Amino acid sequence: MSGILGLMDIAKRALAAEQLGVEVTSHNISNVNTPGYSRQIVQFETSTPIPSPYGPLGYGVTVTGIERAFNPFVTSRLDANTSLLAENKSTKTALDQIASYFNETQDSGMSQLISGFFNAWGTLSDNPSGAGERQALITQAQNLADALNSRADQLVQNRTAITQEIGPTITEINNYSSEIAQLNKEIISSEVNGQQANDLRDQRNSALNKLSGLIGVSYYTTGDGTINVTLPNGDSLVEGVNSWTLSSQISASDTVEVLWNGPGGTSVDITSSIAGGKLSSLINVRDTLIPQYQTELDDLAKELVAQVNMQHSQGVGLDLLSKVLSSNYVNNADVVLENNPDLAFGDRITNGTFVVHVEDSTGASTATTITIDGTTTLNSLAADLDAIAGISATVDTSGSENRLLITGDAGFTFGFSEDDSNVLMALGINTFFKGDSAWTIGINDSGTSIGADNVANNSDLIATGQIDATGAHPPGDNSNSLLLADLGDQPVGPDGLTFSDAYQQMVTNMGLDAEQAGNQQTYYQGLVDQFQQMRDSVSGVSLDEELANLIKYQRAYQAAAKMVTTADEMLQTLLTLKT
Amino acid sequence: MRVSMPTIFGNIQSQLQRITSEMQYTNATIATGRKYQEISDNPVDVGALMGLNTESSQVAQYKSNLNTANSWLSVTETTLTNINTLVSSTAALAEQMATGTYTASQRAAAAQQVQQYLDEFVQMGNTRYQGHYILSGYKIDTEPFTTGVFAIQPPVMNLQTGSTGAATSSGTYTGTSSTTYMVQIVSGGATGTATYQISQDGGQTWSTAATTSTDENLGNGVHVNFDPTSPPPATNWVAGDRFTISVYQPISYQGDNNTLELGIGRNSRMAVSQVGSQVVGGAGGQNDLFQIMAHLKSDLEANDAGEVGARMQELKDYQSQLTSTLAGLGAALNRVEVKQNAYDTLTDQLTKNIANKGDTDLVAAATTLANQQLAYQAALQAASMVMGMSLLDFM
Repeated sequence: MSGILGLMDIAKRALAAEQLGVEVTSHNISNVNTPGYSRQIVQFETSTPIPSPYGPLGYGVTVTGIERAFNPFVTSRLDANTSLLAENKSTKTALDQIASYFNETQDSGMSQLISGFFNAWGTLSDNPSGAGERQALITQAQNLADALNSRADQLVQNRTAITQEIGPTITEINNYSSEIAQLNKEIISSEVNGQQANDLRDQRNSALNKLSGLIGVSYYTTGDGTINVTLPNGDSLVEGVNSWTLSSQISASDTVEVLWNGPGGTSVDITSSIAGGKLSSLINVRDTLIPQYQTELDDLAKELVAQVNMQHSQGVGLDLLSKVLSSNYVNNADVVLENNPDLAFGDRITNGTFVVHVEDSTGASTATTITIDGTTTLNSLAADLDAIAGISATVDTSGSENRLLITGDAGFTFGFSEDDSNVLMALGINTFFKGDSAWTIGINDSGTSIGADNVANNSDLIATGQIDATGAHPPGDNSNSLLLADLGDQPVGPDGLTFSDAYQQMVTNMGLDAEQAGNQQTYYQGLVDQFQQMRDSVSGVSLDEELANLIKYQRAYQAAAKMVTTADEMLQTLLTLKT
Repeated sequence: MRVSMPTIFGNIQSQLQRITSEMQYTNATIATGRKYQEISDNPVDVGALMGLNTESSQVAQYKSNLNTANSWLSVTETTLTNINTLVSSTAALAEQMATGTYTASQRAAAAQQVQQYLDEFVQMGNTRYQGHYILSGYKIDTEPFTTGVFAIQPPVMNLQTGSTGAATSSGTYTGTSSTTYMVQIVSGGATGTATYQISQDGGQTWSTAATTSTDENLGNGVHVNFDPTSPPPATNWVAGDRFTISVYQPISYQGDNNTLELGIGRNSRMAVSQVGSQVVGGAGGQNDLFQIMAHLKSDLEANDAGEVGARMQELKDYQSQLTSTLAGLGAALNRVEVKQNAYDTLTDQLTKNIANKGDTDLVAAATTLANQQLAYQAALQAASMVMGMSLLDFM
């Protein structure tokens, strides 16, 4: 349809095309700050030429579609790195929080408390009969025990907080999976006419990016425009218009189990195959890192209790004992004590002996040796002790807890020495600390309610000296407290290190874990930034560009309008020929 | 590269954020004076710092122990030096009295002097430091030297040639001051025949003669058996036989044989106390100062110049032992000083190391902060220029 009317037609379609250009430009400008938005470009093409005597004659412009500037390769790299960044970021956050409880860069860290505790033994050795020195030691020990308790508590609380974060994270994953499936469905129905649903695809890419941040996934596009999302082990999260959900539960061994709930009610434990994303980090911190720190801290506390009590139970304070209750208990008083599973230190009891010194009101002392062997039970030990004149020993039962109770007869007091069987330490008799872990360590206060003697209610019982063979226990004897002070710099802690070194190693490892997560975070942040820039370089909106386009389309529109006027004038001219 | 709006603004934000966080860190290092704020800032250095701090705190404890050691040793040294001085005076007195030119009454006066010295020794031996008796071993709450009840000593015999005389003493003293009975046989013969007289003033005045028997009361509850070995052989006294029986309050040691040790270094102990029975006496034996003094006093009361000379020799022997103990104390005090100096140097070194590793280098930090501030200002200015550029301004 060449001729003037054809000209009009070309101009009309040019007007429409340029107007579309302005419309798309304004869409781009409007979405300059929309996350995940890919700028759109109108695809212009010359219309099919019409035949003319001079050959095919151009027939104006035609719009073939609106495309979005999008590079699927860059985007998938971006998503993969987002996944790893999110994992390290989450780990770094969690480790920073944990590390702040063990911050040894400032004053009054636990390292200082550990040396303070052993120094207090040193000060007490300088003046073994000093009440002030004794009280100072109790305070130092209490501070150390409190510090261990609170660190243990903070680790537990941190672990609980992470457990509480896992549920919502999985819900979020499920929401994004179902959103992607829903978008797949909408995209299929929008694109039946063959045109790309650009904004829906952008939304789906956004959802995929968010999902990648939560859990490592891989995805691929199918022929019909849908995207299928799979987990690292190949299980499918989104398949076409369907999505499958994840759920979590706590296993019998107190670890998190993530279950994939597939079609037909199948349920698969996929915990071990999760890699990347926040969920992987949460599970790793909760089930690997924190338990590792807990074990290290507990080992430290346990060894501290064992070593201090082992030495303390050899000694004697300013006063002898008149009544003691063991701080540890067994469930069955007829089970042998060696390797008794109820005793945290049962494995340290060996065949051996200890000496009980009983002193009457005149100061006369008799010593009795008690033998511990593979047949000694709590009951038999109580019977052996009960046979000693001047004291009586019974098994004190409270519920299922059987403790050893030793009471001096009126006017009689007693003390212990030379225990090479460790049974006193394991039972918690004449000991300094109670407990066997960072959470339970404390000053021995066993039996306070029944009026028994312990270091918590009588600091004169802190064993600075040792009873000698004659039963003498002079107040100036500092031999036992010297040995206790020595524990501070002897390799008797976990892993054959001193207590300070063991703690230092633990803190350094913790710091290295946090530092490594930080370095990884910085590295992946760099990658993500780079891929983000690459993505934005392709898909981001540039206002200057759009403004230039705006002018371009506006001018073209003006020109097209001029074409209409021109055609009209030509038609007018033609019509005037007739008159 | 095509630059889009998200790139421009994203970059501006992340750069500013980076500089701000660096400034925040520098500021924290200046404000706290510490190079590291978190253990993850430099785990290895933080670990090393913990080690240094632990060591420093241990050294501080050893230094404090050394101060205690120093006090113990000094107090002991002072006490023993005072005793030594007084021993010299006693020895001088004994030397004087050992010469024959002194009379019994002069020796009696010297005996009084010796008693005073003896009391002084007991008092010195019972010196306390911070309420603790320094010479009673672990029994710091027990006076090391106590004066016992009057005890009648066995006779010290001085027989003529041919005499087979023997005597034992017994009884419970009822007097109130120490004294020495001198017994002299006036006429010889077997017990029951021989007669004796007694003197309580070193032989200046004598009692009337009395016949010997197996139980003679010398007065104040002091009994003598002139024939302890009968029968046989029968004793045969010779006129001029003499023996003395002294009565005094013996000093006995109440402490134990332990020495107080203090920890002055890793696996290093130092004994800081002395056992009273070894350095002063109270437990008998050759170098028991109290016993020597008591004997000296008895000998003076008995006006026995020869025995006084023997006591003087014992005092000198004791003194040489005491001198060597004092030398040991001096060496120990010297060791304390050497250790203290060593620990002072170590503390300085540790403090320096801790400061080098953990303290903020303020000059460097302030310079860094100034640089960061400059960078921040430059970044802000550049950002505002980039942000201000728009095609819109020209339309």
